[in-house]
Amino acid sequence: MDSPTADIAAETLLDLIPYGEEIDPLALSVLAANLQAVVGLRTCIRPFRDHPEEAFIPTRYQFDAVKVLDDLCREKEGALFRMGVIQRDLCIPILTYVYGESQLGGHTAVISLHRLHHIDRQVYYERGAKIAIHEAGHLLGLEHCREPGCLMRFSKQLEQLDLLPMRFCPACEYEIARLLKKAIQNRH
Amino acid sequence: MTRSMHIMVVDDEETICVALSAWLTKEGYSVETASSGQEALNRLEKKHYDLYLVDFKMPGMDGLQLVAEIKRRQPDAAIIMITAHGSIQSAVEAMKRGAIDYLCKPFDPEELSLLMERVAAAKTIQQAEVPVVDQWDTSRQASWGGIVGQSEALRLVLNEIEEVAPTSAPVLITGETGTGKDLLALAIHMRSEQAQGPFVAINCGAQSETLLESELFGHERGAFTGAVKARRGRLEMAGTGTLFLDEIGEISPKMQVNLLRVLEEKKLCRLGGNQPIDVDFRLVSATHKDLNQLMREEQFREDFFYRINVLTIHIPPLRERLEDVPVLADFFLQKYAQETGKPVEGLTPRAVEILMGYSWPGNVRELRNVIERVVVIARGRMIGADELSFLKVYGGGTRSGPAATLKEAEIQHLQNVLESCDWSITQAAKMLDIDRVTLSRKMKRFNIKRP
Repeated sequence: MDSPTADIAAETLLDLIPYGEEIDPLALSVLAANLQAVVGLRTCIRPFRDHPEEAFIPTRYQFDAVKVLDDLCREKEGALFRMGVIQRDLCIPILTYVYGESQLGGHTAVISLHRLHHIDRQVYYERGAKIAIHEAGHLLGLEHCREPGCLMRFSKQLEQLDLLPMRFCPACEYEIARLLKKAIQNRH
Repeated sequence: MTRSMHIMVVDDEETICVALSAWLTKEGYSVETASSGQEALNRLEKKHYDLYLVDFKMPGMDGLQLVAEIKRRQPDAAIIMITAHGSIQSAVEAMKRGAIDYLCKPFDPEELSLLMERVAAAKTIQQAEVPVVDQWDTSRQASWGGIVGQSEALRLVLNEIEEVAPTSAPVLITGETGTGKDLLALAIHMRSEQAQGPFVAINCGAQSETLLESELFGHERGAFTGAVKARRGRLEMAGTGTLFLDEIGEISPKMQVNLLRVLEEKKLCRLGGNQPIDVDFRLVSATHKDLNQLMREEQFREDFFYRINVLTIHIPPLRERLEDVPVLADFFLQKYAQETGKPVEGLTPRAVEILMGYSWPGNVRELRNVIERVVVIARGRMIGADELSFLKVYGGGTRSGPAATLKEAEIQHLQNVLESCDWSITQAAKMLDIDRVTLSRKMKRFNIKRP
């Protein structure tokens, strides 16, 4: 019989929830692998589900990220954190678009792969992973960071995002580890 | 860019307030929201905000009226008008009433981020601009061969230098470490009859006795293992100029005897040589030690003391002439800004206040290092209280307190704050008013680890 510690270590901490079947399965695998490797969140890819139609804004042809978060919040079961992945464009009412949105120190986040396209598929996957890691940082309670080489830095443009390495600065890394540990302890 | 801006979002639509507040909070700003103009004004009675984001169209008091009211109560307030597309005319009207810019809903995130950075930078400059130049420049005396200051105490020291410099008598400069005794020695040399000759300086405390002996007296070829060729010593190099012996309290009694002989006979022999060499330098020595005490302990020879101490100049520690701090800080700031190529222009009044409130146990050297450090980490054009937060907590407290070093005090304070925050870097950094990257670096540098 496994020890309780082993159970916690093996526990899924983040559910990756794909909206719409048009999402590249390989992209989801890259996101999950990086969330696990960089943030330390054991991630499980859940089955595809339909787009949350109540979040669609016909006049802008975009999905309202806040309403997608509401949809994810309604989930009773599942991991401690939930991250939606959508291929369509996301926005919040006040901003023309967002790459991702999350509850600061909360449980749900959503990212969009819509604007991340690149001729080199690897760059596209990396962009998605960086956005997912950034939003995971917010989920754990981190604000934006001023360090030039940190994934918690706000990237105004995709070119800036591309220049970021796939890691946090030491300060954010320390905080991520501390907050993650705390979140797991609180859950148990 | 400073992240310490306090922002108020005024909009009757809750979703807009929530979304904008969430976005700005993630950017690190402190944000409050109000759902009407009246609510915003009520809040403003109790607290002023750095920036107001005001929706144009609101029931009751509209955005234009609110801009006018905010400006009347807080003339330096920065206001950005939020408008819907197609109402540019209203945005123009808002700017006529004092708004600094406008944003059309929905905003482009890049545009919003850039605008926030611009407002924060303008705010930093605005806070800094007022009295600094006037305060400093009107009373500023010309820097004096690298000696900078405006205090009465320093003026007296400079007067003494003017008096003693033209003579050829040995001078002993006393004062705490880091007060700039070497600069005084150079100033004496430049005003003396020896000014045409070389100024040769050596720190007697920085080397072993044998090495110091060789450095001072030189050696002939083969004088000792490794002496493959003859070498002139510093005494010989000084020739008809000035020899500056820093930390003279560190030299051994044996070396004191040797030097005393040179001073009296004005002749020396290189190590391993027997040919006397004539020297005619002027001796300027410096020490932070109490030589009278050393004499009582028989570590310093009385005859040597009276030989080097014909004239004495004492330079007071920086804590006794705090009026020099702003001028010195400005001097070093310009120097390091030029060296590093950073567009740093000055210090805010609050920053000067912090510098003036500190006791400076390491004197001018410590001030110089602090300014070099803040110039290196500076992100804006002005150095503010944020950059000096590591000094702020000790303002006034250590002026008459125990002689703890800055480093010790900083480590202790960091540990206390981290412990009080359960080792949360985010919370501790907020309490310390620095960003968490800076805190993390400090923890690494001082090897502060969670127990």
